[in-house]
Amino acid sequence: MSNDSKITPSTPTGRILRRFHADPLARISVLIIVLFALFAGGTALLSSFNLNWPFDPNITNLEQKLEPPSSHHWLGTDNLGRDVLSRMLHGSSISLTVGLIAVFVSLTIGIVVGAAAGFFGGITDQILMRSVDALLCFPTFFLILTAVALLGPSLLNIVVVIGLVSWTGTARLVRAEFLTLRETEYVKGARVLGQKSWTIITRHILPNAAAPILVTAVLGIPDAILSEAGLSFLGFGVQPPQATWGNIIADGKTYLLDAWWLIMFPGLAILIASLSFYLAGDALREAAESRN
Amino acid sequence: MRSIRLFLYGFPIGLLLLLGAAFLNASFLSVAKKNEMSIGTVGEASTLNPVQANDFHSGEALSLMFNGLIKYNQDLEIVGDLATSWDLSQETTLQFASEEDAANALAFFTNGISVQPPPPARPINGVFKKGKEVIITLKQPGLKESEDIFNALLASGCHPLPFPAIEPGSKERPFKAEPIIRFNLREGVRWHDGAPFTSADVAFTYRAIMDDKVASPRRSDFELVSSVATPDLHTVVVRYKKPFSPALLSWMGSILPEHILGKLDPSKWPVSYNRSPVGTGPFKFGSWKTNEFIRLVKNPDYFLGAPWLDSVVFRVLPDPLTLQLAFQTKQVDFWDVDPWAVKSMEKNPKFALFSSAGGMYLYMGWNLQRPLFQDLRIRQAVAKAVNIPQMIRCILYGRGIQSTGIFTPKMWFFNPSVKAIPYDPAAARALLDEAGWKMGRDGIRVKDGKRLSFTVITKNGDEIRRDIATLLQDDLKQVGIEVKVEIYEWSVLLSRFIGKRDFEAIVMGWALGNDYDQYAIWHSSQTHPEELNFIGYSNPKADRLLMELRQEYSRQEIIRIAGELQQTIYNDQPDLFLFVPESTSVMWKGAYRLRHPGQKSGEWIDSPIRMTKAGWGYDMEWFYRPEYPPTNPATQTIP
Amino acid sequence: MTSFILRRLALSVVLLFIISIISFFIVTLTPGSPYPWGELNPKISAEVKANFRKKFHLDRPLPEQYAFIMKDLFKGDLRSIKDDRPVMGKIMERLPATLALNFTAILISLSFGTLLGVYAARNAGRWQDIVCSFVAFLFIALPGFWISYLIAIILVKGFGVPILGTHSYGIAFPNHLAAYLDTIWHLLVPATILALGGIASQSRYLRATMIGTIREDYIRTARAKGLPEETVLYKHALRNSVRPLVTGIGLLLPALISGSVIIESIFAYPGMGRLGYEAVLERDYPTLVALNFVVAALVLLGNLLSDILYAAVDPRVRLE
Repeated sequence: MSNDSKITPSTPTGRILRRFHADPLARISVLIIVLFALFAGGTALLSSFNLNWPFDPNITNLEQKLEPPSSHHWLGTDNLGRDVLSRMLHGSSISLTVGLIAVFVSLTIGIVVGAAAGFFGGITDQILMRSVDALLCFPTFFLILTAVALLGPSLLNIVVVIGLVSWTGTARLVRAEFLTLRETEYVKGARVLGQKSWTIITRHILPNAAAPILVTAVLGIPDAILSEAGLSFLGFGVQPPQATWGNIIADGKTYLLDAWWLIMFPGLAILIASLSFYLAGDALREAAESRN
Repeated sequence: MRSIRLFLYGFPIGLLLLLGAAFLNASFLSVAKKNEMSIGTVGEASTLNPVQANDFHSGEALSLMFNGLIKYNQDLEIVGDLATSWDLSQETTLQFASEEDAANALAFFTNGISVQPPPPARPINGVFKKGKEVIITLKQPGLKESEDIFNALLASGCHPLPFPAIEPGSKERPFKAEPIIRFNLREGVRWHDGAPFTSADVAFTYRAIMDDKVASPRRSDFELVSSVATPDLHTVVVRYKKPFSPALLSWMGSILPEHILGKLDPSKWPVSYNRSPVGTGPFKFGSWKTNEFIRLVKNPDYFLGAPWLDSVVFRVLPDPLTLQLAFQTKQVDFWDVDPWAVKSMEKNPKFALFSSAGGMYLYMGWNLQRPLFQDLRIRQAVAKAVNIPQMIRCILYGRGIQSTGIFTPKMWFFNPSVKAIPYDPAAARALLDEAGWKMGRDGIRVKDGKRLSFTVITKNGDEIRRDIATLLQDDLKQVGIEVKVEIYEWSVLLSRFIGKRDFEAIVMGWALGNDYDQYAIWHSSQTHPEELNFIGYSNPKADRLLMELRQEYSRQEIIRIAGELQQTIYNDQPDLFLFVPESTSVMWKGAYRLRHPGQKSGEWIDSPIRMTKAGWGYDMEWFYRPEYPPTNPATQTIP
Repeated sequence: MTSFILRRLALSVVLLFIISIISFFIVTLTPGSPYPWGELNPKISAEVKANFRKKFHLDRPLPEQYAFIMKDLFKGDLRSIKDDRPVMGKIMERLPATLALNFTAILISLSFGTLLGVYAARNAGRWQDIVCSFVAFLFIALPGFWISYLIAIILVKGFGVPILGTHSYGIAFPNHLAAYLDTIWHLLVPATILALGGIASQSRYLRATMIGTIREDYIRTARAKGLPEETVLYKHALRNSVRPLVTGIGLLLPALISGSVIIESIFAYPGMGRLGYEAVLERDYPTLVALNFVVAALVLLGNLLSDILYAAVDPRVRLE
């Protein structure tokens, strides 16, 4: 096997990955995402085993309220004396969960709706697309509020709801892809051969639409993270004492002028995490599209 | 293409230049300040009609534009506002089966008065007979006074007939006791539009409050009024159906102008008058841009003299952080200091702080319909297990005191001898053991297979309540009680949990001013869906004391009964009484001074802004900015 | 064309009512009911509450409530539960500030976004392009409240410049120009923060389409013909790239009256965002139904306009 890097990889996926890898921004963002996932996953793992993590995110230490970053508390403490670093680490696992579940929900609905609209066309398409338009008429925040009030303010509910209100973009994209791919030779051929719609969709069209869908997924994660932060900021986030990045900022809002660490670190974390996903998603899209 | 390029680069550069110019302009101009007071608030007034508004922010603006008949002075004594004087009396009416009986009774009273010196309990002003009735006018209202007379009459052998009950379902009354308040109104007062203020305005205000179409929240204060008469332009006589001591205080409420609102259908009020009201106060309405600001301008014809400030503006700054920022950069003149910031501000000589014991207390209410909480030992155990002093240190940074019941130390009828339950987790554990709750394997107590666990709910957006719930959770875990916390929106809390009594424990607060009448909250009859005894408290002794308070006019007696009520309820622990936060406001030192009228006319006392029993903003209309000194010279200056 | 427009209009009206019915039911079925008296107050008697409910038909079954609200809306006398004022009046009050804010934000995002996008497209692949990408995504990834707080603190505390509210209070301006500039300054800061996302998306979009069209044959032909680089770039590429923007104008209508609660709260700018948010919290059903109706109408109208413009601009598209 030659190590000559000038040889183009043989599979489309390989080519995409090569182009992705070539982008310096993409490399940095992937690094950050991996780090993020490690922190998040590691914290979740350790806490599920109830290991004696140096600082419990929920231990209140009322003698050490609102302390600035020090060697003892690297990122300072909040108004109940809880260590900000631990809260942020636990928050990272929640943020990642938020991103993944919300994207999962919105992808599922979006793919189903978009595929149906794009594949069957005609009236189905009209009805579905008009419904999508109609959904855009409802203020997102209000839908979230309603759902939270009806179902209860748990993290899972909030995340599912964020996913429920953000599937329209995916649906539009999937529909566009399906409309194009429906007219290709092999799909037409499969139809002539009498293959069932379900088989055609899953075996022929979806795999070819995989790249744009993946891009949407990656780009949807930071949207979900930012939504959760915004909701927490307004006071509609998860219950205490759970720590999410948005919650830490919301809790620390009143002390901001004196306790800058309460908003600076979680804010930077949200920024860096979102930025990484956006850059990675964009690089992925560039890599996928430039094969044309 | 050159034009495209020009446009492409030119437009953003133009915007940047505009930004720069405006930036320089704004920063350059922060020097010239007008003679205007800026007050920043997070919320906004909902309506500027004193009879219809119920929220705090409306009240702030309205207090500068309107007057009531009476008001509190700085020592919380009642003094006249639109009324110069008033007197209270009571008519006790007894009816008899025949005129002869009535004549006998009359004879008893007239002879009785001449025979013996009238005992202090019944200072009688006059007696006369009207048909089969005998009417006695007492100098002092009060149920007891009339009862004394009635009993004396019975002892003499006369037997009056009873009167029908006032409210359906209550008992017949042996006699009618109707308190009367007579107000003498100030002359020469004018409304902001120049029309004269007369007794017709007072009578109209009463009618408006009772009008269904006006939907006034103050209506319950006036339910017991039987008539409001205006014998002349400057006299008002109010007659009540039965002794009701809070009645006098209800006339601190603002008076509406009859000449404007009398002709206007209440459905039109929200769009016309309520958006540009006319009152009698030191400031008149200037302009209102919704959700931005309300500006009031000075009323040069105010009956106590024109205020020194040209205008007062209430700015809406919805975010608490930017509100604080605005204060720190002198864009608003006052700030309600968060507890954590008080210490650093106190140390800073540039600020003047005003602290007072708060008028509200925070509590965790138990749903007494749930069997678990009906056991007094559980409630007492929780009271001992929660470290309230620590909560005060940590959430309020020491700015507050532990609550000892339904009244706060600021109130003149507060009972200081009620002892607060001390923090004693060992005693709590003992109580729980005694009640049969044994420690389980997971650290939570169990009894008959049930774990000792409950859910506390509270409203969102309130850091203090959220922190209380979190600390409660921790403290109770130490003694083996599991607490889950759920936070909901206010409207959900009200309709779904409180309205349907479907909760276990709830963290709330009561802010009740100087009102000793807490019947609506604690009486056992007030447990219907819309009513405020939503925890389901019921104690016959408390019920009796609550009723007595309503009928007692003597200040001493009120203090005694209220004290007993406070101790009774505190012993019962229907709520976990938490604490009374101190409220602190801050002002840049020297930004304002006060020149207010003294006791005698022509006297003007100049002093710095100071704290009084009635608060520091009690006489805000007499604030002035040192750059714009008042024209009336000071007869006395306090440095 | 005319029949198409008429058919779409009819369809839109039907859709509008369906949307308003659904949103009404969502709104009223949410737990929580209107309570315009703030905190619990012992003085408010059960009668006052009962009268309040009767006045706003809250004791009637839901379909009847909807009918009342719609009737009042079209009569022009729909009252808000919060303060009994006409809802359309409340919406109109907020409109100028919201329009100003959004219009400025759109201007900013179009101008700076185009600039950034063209610059990136011109230097495609080089380090300037990478920096532009980075900046664009940075703008999108910034949490709105975070950057608002930072800017507010830096400008107000650091530079001592007032930016809160729509204008500076308590200052005696020497002339009208100074007062006007003051209003502009207060407008520009929140508008810029609102525009950040727009700048990013506009620049990315423009870059992508320009790189795409640069590759197209007719551009190569123009280049081959010997036209100067500048002409090729700006005249042909820019004009063609901007075409999809024109059709996106239709979506501008709803964008113009939407508001951001967070930015409006932090900068104390009275807009539609806060109106809607407060109405939600207070369960002010009439206001919510009216707002929803207006927004839905604008969205549908905007879609229609978009489709018409698209057909007008691109002869390849035929409207069914």
